[in-house]
Amino acid sequence: MTPPQKPQHSSPVHAEAEPAPPTRRSFFAVVAAVLAGSLAVLTPIGIGIAAFLSPLFRRTATSEVRVALLEQVPDDGQPRCFPVVADRDDAWTRYPAQRIGAVYLVRRPGEEKPIALTAKCPHAGCFIGYSESDELFKCPCHTSAFNLDGTRVRGDQEVAPRGMDELQVDVRQIAGPEGANVSEIWVRFVEFQTGVKERIPTT
Amino acid sequence: MRAIGDWFDSRSGFRGLVRAALYEPIPGGARWRYVWGSTLVVAFITQLVTGVFLWMAYSPSTQTAWESVYYIQHEMYGGWLLRGMHHFMAHAMVYLLVIHFLQVVVDGAYRAPRELNYIVGLVLMFLVMGMAFTGYLLPWDQKGYWATSVGTSLASQAPLVGEDLRKLAIGGANYGHHTLTRFFALHAGVLPGLLMILLAMHLALFRKHGLHVRHPHRRPQQMFWPDQVLKDSVAALAVLAAVLAVTIWRHGAELTAPADPANPYDAARPEGYFLFLFQFLKWFPGELELWGAFIIPGIVTLYLFLMPLVGRTRPGHVFNVCLISLLMGAAAVLTVQAFHEDYFAAWSDKDEVFAAKDPVMTARYEASERFLRAQADARRDAERIIELAGMPERIPPAGALALMHDDPFLQGPRLFKQHCASCHNHVDPANREIAAAGNIINERPTAPNLFGVGTPRWIAGFLDVRQIRSPDYFGYQGSPFHDGEMALFVEGAFPEDASDEQRAALQTAFAKVAAALSAEAALPNSPAPTPQQQADIEEGRRLISGGLSDMVDSGVSCADCHKFHDAGEVGGAPDLTGYMSRPWLMDFIRNAAHERFYGENNDRMPAFAPHEDPRLNQLDDQSLALIVDWLRGDWRRVSPPPDAAPQEPPPAQ
Repeated sequence: MTPPQKPQHSSPVHAEAEPAPPTRRSFFAVVAAVLAGSLAVLTPIGIGIAAFLSPLFRRTATSEVRVALLEQVPDDGQPRCFPVVADRDDAWTRYPAQRIGAVYLVRRPGEEKPIALTAKCPHAGCFIGYSESDELFKCPCHTSAFNLDGTRVRGDQEVAPRGMDELQVDVRQIAGPEGANVSEIWVRFVEFQTGVKERIPTT
Repeated sequence: MRAIGDWFDSRSGFRGLVRAALYEPIPGGARWRYVWGSTLVVAFITQLVTGVFLWMAYSPSTQTAWESVYYIQHEMYGGWLLRGMHHFMAHAMVYLLVIHFLQVVVDGAYRAPRELNYIVGLVLMFLVMGMAFTGYLLPWDQKGYWATSVGTSLASQAPLVGEDLRKLAIGGANYGHHTLTRFFALHAGVLPGLLMILLAMHLALFRKHGLHVRHPHRRPQQMFWPDQVLKDSVAALAVLAAVLAVTIWRHGAELTAPADPANPYDAARPEGYFLFLFQFLKWFPGELELWGAFIIPGIVTLYLFLMPLVGRTRPGHVFNVCLISLLMGAAAVLTVQAFHEDYFAAWSDKDEVFAAKDPVMTARYEASERFLRAQADARRDAERIIELAGMPERIPPAGALALMHDDPFLQGPRLFKQHCASCHNHVDPANREIAAAGNIINERPTAPNLFGVGTPRWIAGFLDVRQIRSPDYFGYQGSPFHDGEMALFVEGAFPEDASDEQRAALQTAFAKVAAALSAEAALPNSPAPTPQQQADIEEGRRLISGGLSDMVDSGVSCADCHKFHDAGEVGGAPDLTGYMSRPWLMDFIRNAAHERFYGENNDRMPAFAPHEDPRLNQLDDQSLALIVDWLRGDWRRVSPPPDAAPQEPPPAQ
């Protein structure tokens, strides 16, 4: 069995073809070919990109969360830290009762309602601690310090671009033991973008 | 055979292709310095092969990613070797890239006509970095999760599009399933696909322009096959050997505890080759961060792409080489600095640092201590969760994180710190070191030390004159019990004029009381009592119920104040029935001021969960149970520890 000669197998069409001079008809053919081919290729890409972009159009609802009883926050002006526990949705999974953040509650003497400061640093999102010795909030990451009302100790000199984020607080009554009413502290838990001066919720 | 070969060749022309691939002339002969590109190709092939096999066992979702990597690492045959090779070959690739790049720059191989190929090479380098970055997250462990989240939150600071970019990258507002699916698609699909296309271009262009030959020629011209292929293969084998050696030495790649969004990991660092970027950012706090994260790295990147333009002239080339050396040197210095800062506390003497009274150095020392502590904690978490995952009960469908959250050994100390440690200590009396396992130190306790509650040794302390008034028991600051009835009773039990015989008899009796009370606790780790011990326990019960009154001068026994089963009444002192058992301790923490416990004598212990309605309570039932189980040493073990609950009698007086 002798092998056939090579030239026979190399494609004669490719070797010899010369492009014909353009005509009106061939112009339409070119346009139609480009359109049809692009449509065939780009349609799936477009649909894929639309699905890929869906996180930009989804909105996560903010949740109101019960964080403590009012009696746990006496009006002594001292901050107390409480976890924020709520259901957390991750795509198709719902995790019930997850710790989604933490807040400091501070009730100044004589006041009915405490203020709530989220423990997430507005700079890079680290967990802010409370230093009892100098009565300041301090971030462990880049040494930002905040006063008890959440403002920055050194103002614009501070690494953090803004003060601690305050959350909306609501005090609600529920029926306690022996007919007495008990007050609960609820906060509207919102997360904010870190690293920027403005307070922009991440939704 | 030859006939078949001919048939294929006539229809494909493969012989020509092979010939073209292998018979590339190398002016000046084969040399070792030409091997670097080939080692990279072989390294990439290794990554493809090991990656595909890892892919066959990996499952990207937040409930299965860590779990499947755990399974690869700890249960599949050679899984640790497979994953370790993939991990360390990735490191090797980055370092080989640096060598390859430096050689191209120093030799001026980026200049005409090879500029385009240089640019393709640069893009390849960024693709490899992208694969390294996306791969780090895939095990979904604490280290990868928190290090990567720093990276993506930096991206969100990019002007205008930053936040949208971050959302697209992580597939939502927060890390979750879609972060993994997206990172995995990038890591195993998009990036390697692009890489293969560009690698083909890189090699085609390389062949088009031929090797950038180093002068002078040492030898006559040789062919790529077999001389250079031999050198290339030996080099590739050496790289593989080095990677295998490191993998075996390190016992494979590390797998830390599963990612926990509620539990930030303070020791999160990027991989070693990205550490210089991490350190670089420290120089740009606050508003300047934009410079460190985008502007300066952007300028450097742009410059890298423009290097062929700058290097067209001889001085331009010299400038390029100098600048690249400078940048490389800076990266090396930053890397060393990053390591030095993190391990400062381990490498220097605390007293010396603090004696110098330099606030910068002390702050650095403390930061390093925090880093090392976080690292040690994370290691302990990882060891525990891996132990739990390997137990016959396996991992529940909710994933390994649920396993962690339900484990008293892991959660007990955290909850204790949060709810109990502002008053109580938890310190091993035999080892008060801060680093000792289970120790939670409160310098000025205002309540008893709870280490080993319910063990005979812990109970015996209450019946020991020297111990009951120590800070570990009733001698803490402001204790109302320092001169309370219990302390007076124990003191009065050993009068000055007692004979040695009397003392010894009483001590034996107290030891039996402690044994009987410890039997009430029914600690999960106490071994079954021997017949002799059982007899002691029975005798102890008789002593508690009233027998003790014949032995002490005061004529008082436990049951005169405490209730104990049928003897005594509640209201005077804590009920000793089921003392320190799980239900007893739960009820005690729920409300220590209940008449069954301290009643009105309770001056400080908060009622953590006194109400039926859980909304009215400070502490939920699950946390309560975790604290109690941890205090009682009640967690799942591979095998019972030999000396978890010391059973020896208290030291003689």
